[in-house]
Amino acid sequence: MTAHLTPEQFVDLAEGTQPESAVPHLAACDACRRELADLRAMMTAAAEPGVDAVPEPSPLYWSHLSSRVRDAVAQEAAPRSWRGQLLRPFVLVPSLGAALAVAIIAVVASNRTVDAPAIPSSPLVSSSTALVPERTPSLPPLAPLGAADDPQLAVVAGVATAVDWDEMMDEVAMSTADTSDAVASALTQDEQRELQRLLTEAIAQPGAREKLS
Amino acid sequence: MWALPVTFAGPGDARLTELENLTEAQLVEACLAGRAGAFDLVVDRHRRTVYQLCYRFVGNHEDASDLSQDVFLRAYRGLKSFRGGSSLATWLYRIGVNVCLNKVATKKPILEDLDARPHVDTGHEPQDERVLREERAVRVRAAIGKLPPKQRATLVLRMYQELSHEEIAGILDSSVGAVKANFFHAMGNLKKILSEA
Repeated sequence: MTAHLTPEQFVDLAEGTQPESAVPHLAACDACRRELADLRAMMTAAAEPGVDAVPEPSPLYWSHLSSRVRDAVAQEAAPRSWRGQLLRPFVLVPSLGAALAVAIIAVVASNRTVDAPAIPSSPLVSSSTALVPERTPSLPPLAPLGAADDPQLAVVAGVATAVDWDEMMDEVAMSTADTSDAVASALTQDEQRELQRLLTEAIAQPGAREKLS
Repeated sequence: MWALPVTFAGPGDARLTELENLTEAQLVEACLAGRAGAFDLVVDRHRRTVYQLCYRFVGNHEDASDLSQDVFLRAYRGLKSFRGGSSLATWLYRIGVNVCLNKVATKKPILEDLDARPHVDTGHEPQDERVLREERAVRVRAAIGKLPPKQRATLVLRMYQELSHEEIAGILDSSVGAVKANFFHAMGNLKKILSEA
């Protein structure tokens, strides 16, 4: 016995574009005959009057639809305000992604600075010239990171819950050398500390935590 | 893509008559050049087909109307990318199917009541037979709505929009063999869904 019919052959037979006589297997195979009969029955059921009926809208509807499209197209073609430009998805989403990347990089970088093991002083280098990062007296010391009540982690966690990981990585990957992630990686420790301070200030604002939670 | 010039022509405008004589490719060029009424003419020619396609996916007038507008707006935005490799109708179908599948993937369609559907005149059909037929039609429509997206699109385009397998292959960016296989499996699944209901 030859192989059973393919879906393509069944459709051709059911639609009559191929005669049954062109497929000798059909006469010898009960299973294929049943399959073909089922297919024809379902096509008949799907084609029954009423299944595909689309109510005819009022005669005025078509010009109304054209007007709606015309208005939408005209709105599309009109110049947008700077706010409108910023809120366009393909501007807003990468910007938010880049901002999130900056926040993560800043927090991770400052975390590393704080957690870095102390460099033992070499006998060849006096303690006053050891390779310890200099601190700017005017800036406050970095707060310890990683604690459960660390406000910076709360900021990142709050933002991260609303962002899909793959999307964020796409945004980061799409960033070019002159965008925010490059800027963030080029921050000095003092600048990172300042960013940390700004983040801390931001979440200290009344209602900031509620917005993030 | 956002900066297509756009102007409109009013009814009876001599420029519209001129546009009507253009070939499809020339009409697209006229749209891109911002000629008054050119895109209106595209909408007028295809609005019924697009609306019917949308209706068959969502099953109610309001959503079908919104989706139709969306289809034309996307077409307008993407007009520059239309290369003329297929007909404008096929291209609009492609946009329409994508818009509709996105819609039904995010929101379960609200099918209009049976009473809102047009009564199909089948001659001297007795009342009880008509009721039974309409009930069957409702069940089949509901079953079609449960098919996987590509099978559903294939069935709608083949059986109700009456497109050829070749046209459907162009719309779904598929091969003719794959379209026929999809159609075959759609019918098999339809039978299964109806028998479970």
